[in-house]
Amino acid sequence: MIPGKYRSVSGRAASNVNCGLHLVIQASSLPEKNKVRFKQVEFKLNKETPSFPGRLLQHDLERNYSSRQGDHINLVSSSMPSFPILQRSSEEKILYSDRLTLERQKLTVCPIIDGEEHLRLLNFQHNFITRIQNISNLQRLIFLDLYDNQIEEISGLSTLRSLRVLLLGKNRIKKISNLENLKSLDVLDLHGNQITKIENVNHLCDLRVLNLARNLLSHVDNLNGLDSLTELNLRHNQITFVRDVDNLPCLQRLFLSFNNISTFESVCCLADATSLSDITFDGNPIAQESWYKHTVLQNMTQLRQLDTKRVTEEERRMASVVAKKEEEKKRESHKQSLLKEKKRLTINNVARKWDLQQHRITNIATNQDRKDSDSQDHCQNDGSTISAFPEETGSLDSGLTSALQGLSVTDTHLVEVDGDTLSLYGSGALECLDRNWSVQTAGMVTTVSFTFIEFDEIVQVLPKLRIKFPNSLHLKFKETNLVTLQQFNALAQLRRVDQLTVDPQGNPVVNFTLWKYYVLFRLSHFNMQKINGTEVTQNDMIMAERLFGILAHVASSELPQYHLISILGDARKKQFRYLLETKGKKPGIVNEENNDSKRLVGESTNRATLNYTTRDFYNEKLEEIKEKKKFCKIYIEDLVKEATEINMKNEALQKLWPQMFIELVRDAVMEIRNKNSYMKLCLQQITDQK
Amino acid sequence: MLSPERLALPDYEYLAQRHVLTYMEDAVCQLLENKEDISQYGIARFFTEYFNSVCQGTHILFREFSFIQATPHNRASFLRAFWRCFRTVGKNGDLLTMREYHCLLQLLCPDFPLELTQKAARIVLMDDAMDCLMSFSDFLFAFQIQFYYSEFLESVAAIYQDLLSGKNPNTVIVPTSSSGQHRQRPTSGEASMLEGVEAPLFYQCLENLCDRHKYSCPPPALVKEVLSNVQRLTFYGFLVALSKHHINQALGALPDKGDLMHDPALDEELERL
Repeated sequence: MIPGKYRSVSGRAASNVNCGLHLVIQASSLPEKNKVRFKQVEFKLNKETPSFPGRLLQHDLERNYSSRQGDHINLVSSSMPSFPILQRSSEEKILYSDRLTLERQKLTVCPIIDGEEHLRLLNFQHNFITRIQNISNLQRLIFLDLYDNQIEEISGLSTLRSLRVLLLGKNRIKKISNLENLKSLDVLDLHGNQITKIENVNHLCDLRVLNLARNLLSHVDNLNGLDSLTELNLRHNQITFVRDVDNLPCLQRLFLSFNNISTFESVCCLADATSLSDITFDGNPIAQESWYKHTVLQNMTQLRQLDTKRVTEEERRMASVVAKKEEEKKRESHKQSLLKEKKRLTINNVARKWDLQQHRITNIATNQDRKDSDSQDHCQNDGSTISAFPEETGSLDSGLTSALQGLSVTDTHLVEVDGDTLSLYGSGALECLDRNWSVQTAGMVTTVSFTFIEFDEIVQVLPKLRIKFPNSLHLKFKETNLVTLQQFNALAQLRRVDQLTVDPQGNPVVNFTLWKYYVLFRLSHFNMQKINGTEVTQNDMIMAERLFGILAHVASSELPQYHLISILGDARKKQFRYLLETKGKKPGIVNEENNDSKRLVGESTNRATLNYTTRDFYNEKLEEIKEKKKFCKIYIEDLVKEATEINMKNEALQKLWPQMFIELVRDAVMEIRNKNSYMKLCLQQITDQK
Repeated sequence: MLSPERLALPDYEYLAQRHVLTYMEDAVCQLLENKEDISQYGIARFFTEYFNSVCQGTHILFREFSFIQATPHNRASFLRAFWRCFRTVGKNGDLLTMREYHCLLQLLCPDFPLELTQKAARIVLMDDAMDCLMSFSDFLFAFQIQFYYSEFLESVAAIYQDLLSGKNPNTVIVPTSSSGQHRQRPTSGEASMLEGVEAPLFYQCLENLCDRHKYSCPPPALVKEVLSNVQRLTFYGFLVALSKHHINQALGALPDKGDLMHDPALDEELERL
């Protein structure tokens, strides 16, 4: 048999080599990897370990081409039925005393090697060996090559204390084990096996190269103790995360190509691996990410090569710039999300308050109905409304808890200006209209949205709204307690409204059939375009006029003048005085002059009498009038008393008059009966007067 | 002028009966409230306008509920105003809920109480499903009796309850020890079997009521007519019958059902708008 010489590892095609053994082996061209590997291995060995094995190999390389036919090796079947015994001719033994090549010998078992105790290199490549056996006596062995066999378990190596290179690539090994005694191991090659876990290598403190490519590793850890490791090959596995690499003080090259790494966090220990200068990630999901290159470069400033390409200064600079930008963006979005969260919490708070208020109001109303005190019920109701919310608060709390430290959640209102929309939540928000708004901001606002605010409160600030936000054309109301059609009268105060949105939620008025028509009728001078998102058609306007036109007519023409004026107030007084002076002309009649004056005012006067005063105001007014009413009552009573007295006196006089008249006449006649005495009496009276 | 009946009443009572004082007081009150404006064009003119509007029935527009309720004439005027203003809604055929009608009422009288509207709705809906839709004419006529005769109806309700529970308000109860045992209410089973009360008995009580009380009540003849048609009737049955009967003529506020939608004068105005 011809021993297989070392393949020509210089990259040239292997040639047929003949040496001492008879077997002619066609040393076929080898897979690239192995060649490369070997080259590296040998190179390294030559460089760093100028010890015996290295020189041995180099020596053999030089002798590669000066081989000649050698002796024969006889494989003699031994007494033990399964193990063949290997014998070499003595010439061979002398020539190649320290190395033995048995590649491609179709061996299924390791033969017993007799009398070769000096062997340093043993090559069993390309056979069918299933178990490592019968080599325990070769205690000087330094180089053992079992590449491309069928070995399922690492075993039988416990006596090979001098072993430096162990090549077990392309076998069926499932577990790294039984390497305890191989403390001098320098190169361990386990590529192309079925290993799932890195273990039992922690004692290999001289190991410099570890190849675990093409295995079934899913993660990398348990690497402590490999204090000499400079190269770690983990290509073609299923690795998702990497740990412990920062515990390898000498690691320079790490190959992670074609694995399953998708985030930098899963390999974050690499940032601390200061010795690392060469790393590959190609074929991982992480390499497809847009942020891949600069994230790696930013975090691993010690790198010289990435994916077999040199890292330039330019790239490094770019990486840091991009990283900074990312940081900025993240900070910004974090701020934004905090703001949004705060807004959401505030709105929720306002909503909760609003609901409690509403429930409380209805509760009081029902309390008044019932005679017995219902304080218990009140509390229960409150409890029920509060309990409706814990899910919400729960979910809120579980959210950005840490981020929200320091944010106040007790805000009772929220004011938000978002481009062209001013949003107000909660009645406290109405105070914002008192603030000084910049002309630009205020001018841009075209939509004003009210939520969780009582409509009666909104009515009071409408004049302010008209002044401060002159361009507001669209009003939105949600949860504002719009219950009667009257309330829409209040909107007439504004300058102009193009669109009106009344959300059914919290606004019962929307349930009425006629509400839209009433709005169109009362606010006809606005020429509204849309109500609740639907366009206003000519038909709608006609219908509105048809339904409520008479109301307007009655409200203006049939009211007595004084009443009209008292309702309309100062602004209209002038106009109505004018109308009064043009006698006989009712405001309802269309007239040239009337039309002009109508247009000037901007609102058809016959609707102006339809006002809305909030309930509170109205009650206040009625209270104020009570005094006057009392006075009037008393006054009229006095008048009546007087009148009845006068009437009584009159009647009494009527009754008594005939009698009185007769007496008067009788007295007069009796006085004049005696002419003389009467004359004397008169003269007497005259002198008395003087 | 000097008719004997008028002289028979003492002055104050006479005035009160005709509600003259109410109007006087209100007029003076209005005057006080709007002194600055009214003084511009003269007090005499103000009084003229005021009493003219009382005659025409427009004085109740946009006034507070206490005033509207004060006199029968006010109530009738209000009904008429409501009809005239919202006749078009009825003509359009829309069916509205009780709340919506209440809204419309509030347009004319801002503090109109909800209970009255609810009671009117109950008449229409026979105390059933209060969220139902009602037609304008149904609601209007029911509202008419409810509003105009509200006190009367309350008393009738009380009488009805008494009759239902077996007590006859007409009988005089002598407080002896034995009568306490006689006053047994019929079992609820009995009452439910026979719905309502017996018409003649009911009529007797009502007649007494009308005689005894001074606030307005429907003309007894009408009540008799309504009650003579049936043997037994429920409270709401009675009211519905009353509302549909020719009570309009008695009140004089609203036209009959057939003419409800017609109002030529206002239709003309409408055309002009």
